[in-house]
Amino acid sequence: MMRIKKGLLLSLSLVLSLSLLVACGSNNANTNENAGKVSTGNDEVKELTLFIDAPWYPVSEWKGPIAEKITEKTGVKLKVTVAADDRQLPLMISSGDLPDLIFTYSQIDRLSDSSLSYPWNELIEQYAPDFVIDNTRIAIHTMDDGNFYTVRNSFATQEEMAANKYAIGSDGNPGIAVREDILNELGNPSLNSVEDFVNVLDMVKKKYPDMVPLIMDKDWIEQYFLQQFGVEALLDGWYERDGKIEYAIKQPEMLDFFKFMNKLYREGYILAENFAYTNDQIDDEYAISGKAFAHSHTVSIADTDNAKIKSNGGSHTFKMLPSALSKDAKIVSTGLGFAGTFITKNNKDPEASIKFIEYLASDEGKKLTMFGIEGEHWTWNEEGYPNLNYDPSDADFVNSNGIKWWYLYNDGITEGLQGYVPGTQKTQALLERKQITQYKPEIGLIQTQPDSEEKTIKTKVDEMIKNEKVKIYLAGSEEEAIANYENMLKTADQLGLPQLVDWANDIYQKKKELFIK
Amino acid sequence: MALDSSVDRNIRFSKRRTQFFKQLKRQKVLHLFVGLGMIFLLIFAYTPMFGIIMAFKDYSISTGIKGIFTSEWVGFKHFNEFINDYRFGEIVRNTLALSFLKVLFTFPAPIILAILLSEAKNLRFKKVVQTVSYLPHFISWVVVAGIAFSFLSADIGMINKALMSLGIIDKPLDILTNADHFWGLAVGSAVWKEVGWWTIIFLAAIAGINPTLYEAAQIDGAGRLARIRHITFQGMKGTIVVVLILTIGSILGGGLVGSNFEQAFLFGNSINNSTSEIVQTYAFKVGLRDGRFSYAAAIDLIQSIISVILIFSSNYIAKRASGSSLF
Repeated sequence: MMRIKKGLLLSLSLVLSLSLLVACGSNNANTNENAGKVSTGNDEVKELTLFIDAPWYPVSEWKGPIAEKITEKTGVKLKVTVAADDRQLPLMISSGDLPDLIFTYSQIDRLSDSSLSYPWNELIEQYAPDFVIDNTRIAIHTMDDGNFYTVRNSFATQEEMAANKYAIGSDGNPGIAVREDILNELGNPSLNSVEDFVNVLDMVKKKYPDMVPLIMDKDWIEQYFLQQFGVEALLDGWYERDGKIEYAIKQPEMLDFFKFMNKLYREGYILAENFAYTNDQIDDEYAISGKAFAHSHTVSIADTDNAKIKSNGGSHTFKMLPSALSKDAKIVSTGLGFAGTFITKNNKDPEASIKFIEYLASDEGKKLTMFGIEGEHWTWNEEGYPNLNYDPSDADFVNSNGIKWWYLYNDGITEGLQGYVPGTQKTQALLERKQITQYKPEIGLIQTQPDSEEKTIKTKVDEMIKNEKVKIYLAGSEEEAIANYENMLKTADQLGLPQLVDWANDIYQKKKELFIK
Repeated sequence: MALDSSVDRNIRFSKRRTQFFKQLKRQKVLHLFVGLGMIFLLIFAYTPMFGIIMAFKDYSISTGIKGIFTSEWVGFKHFNEFINDYRFGEIVRNTLALSFLKVLFTFPAPIILAILLSEAKNLRFKKVVQTVSYLPHFISWVVVAGIAFSFLSADIGMINKALMSLGIIDKPLDILTNADHFWGLAVGSAVWKEVGWWTIIFLAAIAGINPTLYEAAQIDGAGRLARIRHITFQGMKGTIVVVLILTIGSILGGGLVGSNFEQAFLFGNSINNSTSEIVQTYAFKVGLRDGRFSYAAAIDLIQSIISVILIFSSNYIAKRASGSSLF
């Protein structure tokens, strides 16, 4: 009797633990089945799944007035999943477990593949013949098979930018803010060149030895200074001279930039530790608590810092340095936009999907996503920009209402207009930047394909630069810095940079015709 | 005669077989337990091993799971790529140095702490020490890295501030940003985090020693140190050897405390990169992050082979030296 009981108990526990395993496996299947059958009210609302390939994405749920309005207009609601990390999408691709829609910036080339996604051109022809996309955007996104699978948002051509003077770009541009009160105490020394800035840092260091003269956000260390020295790309980018493409680290101005950064370190104007920060709050802490004189971040940093200082009960204020601190300053925009939406082969309703995107791409859709609801969040100013009823730098308000972030299709003009708030320091900085910006999107088209040899070389070169550049910044003397810089160039060549540059020139010659006007 | 012996053998064989099944039946409860574990291993450890063939192929993630089997064979291409990498030497050195240093310090630490605790007379003190020392085990490495920053930062770190204000140092220590300090930082934080946890297993071994042995030794005039050496330590030896073998098997992951990857990834930065980059972080950065699963698999396979060699040789040495071994 006892033995039977024992046996029963054991087999029961076996069944239990097995069913646990099975339950784990079938969970996903269940949710997939349920999706799409949801209906609310009288009209059938289709639910599509959307994967956002950006772990940092500020909105993670389809809710708020903007999302509701979009659903009302399109009959589509989204079931959103935000990536847990940047490897999730590659894993999903390899396991074939794809949602209806994917919004990504890092896997655009990978997903532009007819075995993974529907070509937009086919869907448009079949379901949305009135959906017109301009030729430049189509050309940028057309793959070798003649199809295009997405169109990136946040892109505007030079002509579009020129035609919309209030479209000034977004927050993703570098800027440095300095303490206004301390400048006053120092007798408002002139700040019209990089040398002036260094002089002021020196004065700060002497007069306020406990203060860190310059603190930098971990992601915004180089950009501002690169531009001041006339370097036309970031450290992992391309620049063009006399019709030839070269890797940015080889641009002659680069050495001046490195010497300058090294000087900042050797003179004690920046902390070595700054290059080891693993989170982007540390620099803010320095700026807000008054322990730093200058704060390197984006164009909105003075506004953001000042707002935080005020709410913390502090009294010091920041003001932006001019966007062009030196006469050599150059800003070259090679951007093709930010991210794009893909309609995957697993999509259960490609028709609804392309129509959904068509709506977002309409003038009404673009303004709704980017500014909010007309009348409630903004009214149109006849000058050609929206009068917003909120502060677009107020991240809490913007994110909780879902403004901007549903830009699965949008453009750089609408996005640029959202940043235009007369009277703010950010707007001023962006206007200054726009004046000296050159547009070379053809350089942006030099993109290594997934799984290609060039991609491998580029990854290795970039990874090498990431480590070697810090050795240059933190060198004990200028000679050592120069030697480290030359060593970096040599290593890059060993890793196959010349081959990569040849390849880039080939691509450039082929692609630049797309932009010949 | 020949016929006889063969019949004899057959009978013996069938006898043995029935005995085997009888035994199986008798032990069916135990086998059920084992079976469950085996199913687990089969699903989570053996099935994924098919993926190893990726290391010898040019696998592209867009080809999906079937691509693992259909993609082109490329032999040792990925292995060659890694071995000829300009940082190969440095990365392997870092991996080995970090691993051996961690075993060297984190393996004896819990043994010593266990012996010290078993010798402590004050029960309350013993309990407090045990709790305090094993609590850090439950803090994740991400959090530890954050705590380390606020303690060790050169500019705002508590320890540097305290040392400076006491006049012990006149320049802050750059523990987090100096390549020379990374191994010490990794070993030190691993000991701090895991020593208490592993002490538990050794304390259990000590608890299993028959107390009469101590009494007898005391009567025979053995002092405290002699008792530790001849009774406590001898009683722990079996456990120590098993833990040591397991440690060496996973040495490239950081030994019994694990966490080589977490430490190199979280404490590593571009300043101390020349000592903090290890095989796993490198595989992650230039392999996995770009979806180059083949390359990452090849790097990992090299590391696994080294681990297997280490576990077999340590088992062999343990068997020879102490008589106890894992298999």
